[in-house]
Amino acid sequence: MRKLAVAVVVLTGGLLLYAATDFAAWGDPESPASDSDVSKHFIAETGVDTEVPNMVTAVLADYRGFDTMFETVVIFIAGIAILAILKLTGKDATKTPGKRKDEVDDAPDLIVTHTVRLLVPIIQLFAFYVLAHGHVSPGGGFQGGVIMGASFILVALAWDLPRAMDRLSVDRAILLAGVGILIYAGIGLLAMFLGGEFLDYAELSTIFPVSREMARYHAMLGVEIGVAFTVTTVMFAIYASLSSKGRLEGGL
Amino acid sequence: MSENSIALIFACPLFGAVLCTFLGGAKRALCHPVAVVSLGGALWGGIETLRRVVASESHEISYLLGGWTLDSYPRGVGIEFRADLLGTLIMLVVIGVAFLVALYSKLTVSEETPEKEGPFYTLFLLQVTGLAGICLTGDAFNLYVLIEVAALTGYGLIAMGSARAAAATFNYVILGTIGASFYLLGVGYLYMKTGTLNMVGIQEVIVQQDLADSATMQVAFVFIGLGILIKMAFFPFHAWLPNAYSHAPTSTSCLLAPLVTKVMIYVMIRMTLTVFGVDFSFEETLWTKLLPWLVVVAIVCAATMALAQRDLKKMLTYLIVAEVGYMVGGVWIYNYYGLVGSIFHVISDACMTLCLFLGAGIILRKVGTSHFDGLKGLFRRMPLTMTGFFVGGFSIIGLPPTCGFFSKWYLITGGMLAERWEYVVALLFSTMVMVVLFFRLIERIHLAVKESGEEFGHGHGDLDLPENETRFDEAPLSMLIPLLLSAAVVLLIGIYNQDVVNLVESFLEPLNLPKGTDR
Repeated sequence: MRKLAVAVVVLTGGLLLYAATDFAAWGDPESPASDSDVSKHFIAETGVDTEVPNMVTAVLADYRGFDTMFETVVIFIAGIAILAILKLTGKDATKTPGKRKDEVDDAPDLIVTHTVRLLVPIIQLFAFYVLAHGHVSPGGGFQGGVIMGASFILVALAWDLPRAMDRLSVDRAILLAGVGILIYAGIGLLAMFLGGEFLDYAELSTIFPVSREMARYHAMLGVEIGVAFTVTTVMFAIYASLSSKGRLEGGL
Repeated sequence: MSENSIALIFACPLFGAVLCTFLGGAKRALCHPVAVVSLGGALWGGIETLRRVVASESHEISYLLGGWTLDSYPRGVGIEFRADLLGTLIMLVVIGVAFLVALYSKLTVSEETPEKEGPFYTLFLLQVTGLAGICLTGDAFNLYVLIEVAALTGYGLIAMGSARAAAATFNYVILGTIGASFYLLGVGYLYMKTGTLNMVGIQEVIVQQDLADSATMQVAFVFIGLGILIKMAFFPFHAWLPNAYSHAPTSTSCLLAPLVTKVMIYVMIRMTLTVFGVDFSFEETLWTKLLPWLVVVAIVCAATMALAQRDLKKMLTYLIVAEVGYMVGGVWIYNYYGLVGSIFHVISDACMTLCLFLGAGIILRKVGTSHFDGLKGLFRRMPLTMTGFFVGGFSIIGLPPTCGFFSKWYLITGGMLAERWEYVVALLFSTMVMVVLFFRLIERIHLAVKESGEEFGHGHGDLDLPENETRFDEAPLSMLIPLLLSAAVVLLIGIYNQDVVNLVESFLEPLNLPKGTDR
């Protein structure tokens, strides 16, 4: 069995090396991926089409916004699936389990809690900055959402899970994750009802007093906010249910 | 609204899924109707799309997401949904099957996964969104994203089953991830050599620049093919499937077993015909020489393993693995009729597998076990259920007038015309095994219970009383009606097989596939 595994690994490695013999040269501006109509359009026309200076965000949230919507759905699915598998139902849910072996009774550490008290507002402010500047500089909904989610996890680490869940309970987190999807897909659906294709943000200019390009610009911020909702809440929900084996209580 | 019928196909289940999450708490009883209604909306969109595809001159419709239309922007700037006859037919099968399973699922979901209706239907609807999207997308990377949506929801849905389901899911997660990684790596190579992700765009570049000799493209073909073969549980890579599908909750296995492997075969057909193109896939690679022999091994091994099973659900899962072999073979014998058979078999196999799994779900619920020993005398107890189940069984064997007969007929015709006799022999061998399997079942199910001392279905309620064993005790209507509907579909597709084949043929006709020596 072990020999077979080695053979498979060697074969795959060989294929990878064989494929590399025909790669485009490193940094070659003439390579198909750099020289195709699609790449040239992105480089030359992004600003014209969408008014967004950050080409990456425009490709991600507008040109290929449909992919990103489903990437957000993938994150949503991960949260729902983990909660559904670990959630305790029936008599398991009411049973109060005994203390775990690794659980300690100590009060939260003074230095840690005070540092976290200072840090959390800054982290959250930075999350908003990353989110809001996604279409101008590196950043966006996924990154902002992860930073935001980390601030809630930090509270749970410094004190305990119930303290973090006072601020964001897992049930509410999953509802907000759904709200995130609803914002993203809702913008797409609204564009469809206004006469365009699904996710054709330019059509939003018929109800908002902006040009078609600026409608794309603002709608990108809108969908990024939807992504941030989902990522933030799913991050925290996954942490809460994995760290407590679905009991949703206790410290580290 | 009509031009947006394609958007309804994914938007209805997507919004339905979010609604199910919102209702998941106190109002979780509403999740089932929401699922049925949103799939009904998707079904309407699907039928409308098929009508438009058939009516249009080129038999295909483009839907440019985000409004990046082909007349103002280069192809591949945005994501394109391309509904042609092949994709639309498979998409309709996906949504139709999902609709029947949603109807059927009411009782089993609240019994097997109590208090979890919200997440269950959320994942259920997103699974359908992913699978239906795979059938329509015209973008190689979007296909990957949708495969991930379908795979992750599948893991969640399976792991909600019995305690043993968790271990089975873990295997599935590992193998599924390996398969998806291979596919993604292949798409990366494709992008590197062609500079586009649009399926038609890739095909255009391959023809223009004659990329068939490129080592990178050859490896890309191997990786994409290998990834899809793992995902569809082709024989040596089938290890995840039997346990995952037999330990999953009833409604999950009813949804996944007919659809996931079949949609992956669709992806393989799409990749070979549309992305790489007929010349590249069949003439420039070794797959036409190699794969039919692997298929023979796959069919023979899977059929033999099915013969060894003593549990109904387990046996059915090995049948799926054998059927995957049929369809892969139909593609790689490189013959027009083989491909017609393969595509038609994707459709008919989805319907008959649905029929069998719906029947097995009812048996499992009524008897408490799906072991063969529990089946004795079931025909007297549940004549309608068993009739529906047998229609599915006869179709798997390939008895006329069920759809399984006609699709297998095309597969065997294709094998003979291409002179791949090894494939024809494997098909006939497997048919014999199916006959043995199902007539053994029929004998058991018809057997009246005489031996009063014999116990079966240990400890399951009234089964211990001999006189109750043969009492008329039919399945609840909410489960029986979907089963009988699916049996009716199996018969109807069989009777109207020419109409389905005509649609498949008008898709394949322009591709100039070899039709064999005699014609």
